[in-house]
Amino acid sequence: MTGLRRLRWSTVLLVALALVWLYPVVWTLTNAVRPTADIYRAPWDLAWPPATENIGAAWDRGQLGAALANSATVTALTVAIVLVLSIAGAYALTKLRPPGRAVLFMLVLAPLIIPTEVLIVPLFSMFRALGLINSLPGLALVNAVANVSFATLILTGYFRTIPRDLIDAARVDGAGRLDVLLRIVIPLARPGVLAVSVLVAVLTWNDFAGALVLLQDPDTFTVQLALTRFSTFYATDQGLTFAGMAIVILPPLLLFLVLQRSFIRGLTAGVVGR
Amino acid sequence: MAFLLPTLVLLGGFLFYPLVYGIALSAHDSQGFEPTQFVGLDNYVRAILGDAVFHRSLLNTIVFTAAAVVLQTGIGLFLAILVVGVRRGRTFYLVAFFAPFVLASVAVGAVWKYLYAPFFGIAATVGTALGFDTSTVAPLADGDTALWAVMAAFLWRFAGFSMVVYVAAIQALPRDYYDLATLEGASWSQRLRHITWPLLWPQTFTLVLLSTIGTLRIFDMVWIMTAGGPAHATETVATHVYTTAFRFLDVGYAQAMAMILLLVILLLTVVEYRILNRRAEMVSS
Repeated sequence: MTGLRRLRWSTVLLVALALVWLYPVVWTLTNAVRPTADIYRAPWDLAWPPATENIGAAWDRGQLGAALANSATVTALTVAIVLVLSIAGAYALTKLRPPGRAVLFMLVLAPLIIPTEVLIVPLFSMFRALGLINSLPGLALVNAVANVSFATLILTGYFRTIPRDLIDAARVDGAGRLDVLLRIVIPLARPGVLAVSVLVAVLTWNDFAGALVLLQDPDTFTVQLALTRFSTFYATDQGLTFAGMAIVILPPLLLFLVLQRSFIRGLTAGVVGR
Repeated sequence: MAFLLPTLVLLGGFLFYPLVYGIALSAHDSQGFEPTQFVGLDNYVRAILGDAVFHRSLLNTIVFTAAAVVLQTGIGLFLAILVVGVRRGRTFYLVAFFAPFVLASVAVGAVWKYLYAPFFGIAATVGTALGFDTSTVAPLADGDTALWAVMAAFLWRFAGFSMVVYVAAIQALPRDYYDLATLEGASWSQRLRHITWPLLWPQTFTLVLLSTIGTLRIFDMVWIMTAGGPAHATETVATHVYTTAFRFLDVGYAQAMAMILLLVILLLTVVEYRILNRRAEMVSS
């Protein structure tokens, strides 16, 4: 009534923590548009106005244009593969009955407890024998394995919410199973499909271990590998490193900011249960 | 069933086949990346009995995982309770705490390296401003602190994930429990202890399992920040496997260590599942 709202200690704490949490992100982005000398002089300032000279230099010296194209290729391929496999897989899993379903579920979820990190050596050997080292589609396949399980899991959750009657009615009307999937299931589960796409895109864009092992030729480097090029400049030019990092983190960050609602909902759907 | 076939083919080719090949590889000597002579369990014996670096890496991995799982879950719950408590601007807080999750480990590692840098890092800057002598402060270069310095970056990146899961779960909890408890005079901490925490057990269960599996494999952030150093103080099994295979080309031996890591992951997953699931079932019944 008085207009003076009581400020609770928990709100103050929350605001302080949020600012601390955001600081490294904001600082990275602002340092990307500062002259290198400034970063040395006052490293913790959030300086203004922007100076874009390091952005151009990082773009050239880190060969970021080519790296962005490579990352975009791997990401697009991975998302496409994972979407096709997980939509089809989740559809099959929601229709199957136990005990067959339990066994197949276990198989599909196996990648969750068998991480890529314990298979990098055999994967490298295998890819070398197949001539898939330096192959962007090859890397996409490895990323697809790492992502297909939780994608299927999340989509199964969404598909379960679709009323059976709807599907049965369409079947009675003579629709094939593929028709049902394309015309009924996917449109009704669109939020889930969007969430899975964004999640897989971000995780693939950020993949480091797989790219480190499977891409040897600098021309095939993804942005994450290109970033490590700047670490040789570590002592000499921080400005380039920050500019490079800003370029690389911006696409997933923007995607997240625009789609944060469906991103978070998709992520929590599998864990919380809907 | 036919719709599951593509996934099963992919996993067969790029998960189960490499797994079987990896088991075979771990029982062989190797020349470059080619297996040569069958040596049975010799590589495993060598890792378990004779490799001090492997022992250190396994200990680091388990200590790091245990601490990270507890802290990530705890910080996540703490942040979630704070966020659910505010009436306005909830989206802002969700985004602020979750944003680091979408940043690449390479970038997170590099930024935190700067935060810790001697002389101009934030630890050094704040310390100097407060009048301390910070010329020798270098958390990542000190064997006693390096692992915990990596942990801080790790928690900064992943605590937001636990938080969003808890926020979603708390919002789905039935309000009547709280209204009734408040009516009967239960304090804030009593409500937390006797209502929120037990009812969130299924989420805690899932988060503990997920973060255990996700942390035992830790490679990229360690590799970027310290490459396992100084003097193996932050060596994890995954970084040791990578170095052994791709720097020293001791491939069969590297894969034996990777298989031990996989066994540890499987074992801990089963143990945690058994312990936690018993309580989760009690909650849902």
